[in-house]
Amino acid sequence: MSGKELFVRRYKKLGWVYREVYLKPSIRINTMNADETNVIRRLESQGIVLEKVPFLQNGYCIRKSKFSVGATTEYLLGYYSIQEAAAQIPATLFADLENKTVLDACAAPGGKTVQLADLMQNTGVVIALDIKRQRLTALSNQLERCRVKNTLVHKLDAREASRLGIQFDRILLDVSCSGNYVTDRDWFRRRTLIDVENNARVQRQILEEATKVISANGEIVYSTCSLEPEENELNIDWAIKNLDLEVEEIHCHGEKGLTNVFGKELDSSIRYCRRIWPGQTQGFFVCKLRKRALK
Amino acid sequence: MKPIEDFTKRFNASVHLNESFIARKQDRYFLINERLRGLIQEDFFYIGAYLGKVKNGIFFPSFILLAMLAEEKSNKIVVDDKTAWLFICGRDIFKRGVRDVLGSKRKGDYALIVNGNDECLGFGRILHNIGEVRDKNKVVVKNISDLGDFLRREK
Repeated sequence: MSGKELFVRRYKKLGWVYREVYLKPSIRINTMNADETNVIRRLESQGIVLEKVPFLQNGYCIRKSKFSVGATTEYLLGYYSIQEAAAQIPATLFADLENKTVLDACAAPGGKTVQLADLMQNTGVVIALDIKRQRLTALSNQLERCRVKNTLVHKLDAREASRLGIQFDRILLDVSCSGNYVTDRDWFRRRTLIDVENNARVQRQILEEATKVISANGEIVYSTCSLEPEENELNIDWAIKNLDLEVEEIHCHGEKGLTNVFGKELDSSIRYCRRIWPGQTQGFFVCKLRKRALK
Repeated sequence: MKPIEDFTKRFNASVHLNESFIARKQDRYFLINERLRGLIQEDFFYIGAYLGKVKNGIFFPSFILLAMLAEEKSNKIVVDDKTAWLFICGRDIFKRGVRDVLGSKRKGDYALIVNGNDECLGFGRILHNIGEVRDKNKVVVKNISDLGDFLRREK
């Protein structure tokens, strides 16, 4: 059985039928730098046809453009970021971000870091971590382009976040994952279940570290762009059972998280997670976690 | 601090930076606030608002610093839309593209290049006393740094 057959069969068992998906690029307006209406007007005057993404506050998909939206004056001035629509969801799930101390544990290349800063209107602090220097340079360029002023970047593995000695009000765990076939045309050829398991193991270690640095009433948002339940529902089930975390209900685009994966019954609260099968967007998974209150 | 102050003087501008809110990492300078100052550790990679770096004795400003300068009284050259785009693509500025000059027109001075929306696109060095140039096809500003650098860095 080829890799593709194996994975497609798994998706079918999870209740979804594989299909080819071609994404339109999406942008997110950085409202800390520019007035949204003004940016839209300026882009439209250049012949760019935009369509509001219904489930996002500042997100638009590009229906038509004769040139790359990554090469406009408005982009270079940091008025918007190019960010896939589903990837715009996680940062919006936090309650009241302004003036908070926020950890972006796997930050590069920085799309969500900039989004956090934007939602915070450059107040508070974002601590952004990543382990690869080259990716940190890309992150730094994004921060400069988008005029972010509230962020502190460290070259540090998310699994060592406690070395910073900081307690966070909000933690974004947009963890490194296996990705999905929509954004990687070679995905089925390159990926194996062993990769998925290896990624899932690292993700659990990151979740565990996050519980050490989250404040008592803090919120953790966990997300991946993987379709594989090992990196999503199964990891969250593990976190509920091993890390004193509970899933909080969220209201955003997507379907309920799976509570039965390949015959294994999971904690019922996992239905509060959101699984996004490829279609309007790439594949995605997101959930919000809190430390269980002491009884 | 000195490299930043010397640089801003070349635009006949001054930004008021409190030294205690400047963080330095090797040759890179950052502007921080009270909250960040309380969290800073020696091994940070980037913090607050990046101001620029010194390389081989020359100060290279960030676009954040240039935008800060553009908000102050400083040498500014306002260019038309076509010239603005060509400037971002790395081109020098012809006399015909100049809409207005604020501050110095003197040869050798630095000037911020702004578009019709007063958005700073970068900076350049004035090559000729702009007021004296009659030939519209003469290059009057040499491009030193422009926003297109963000795209060139990616390559």
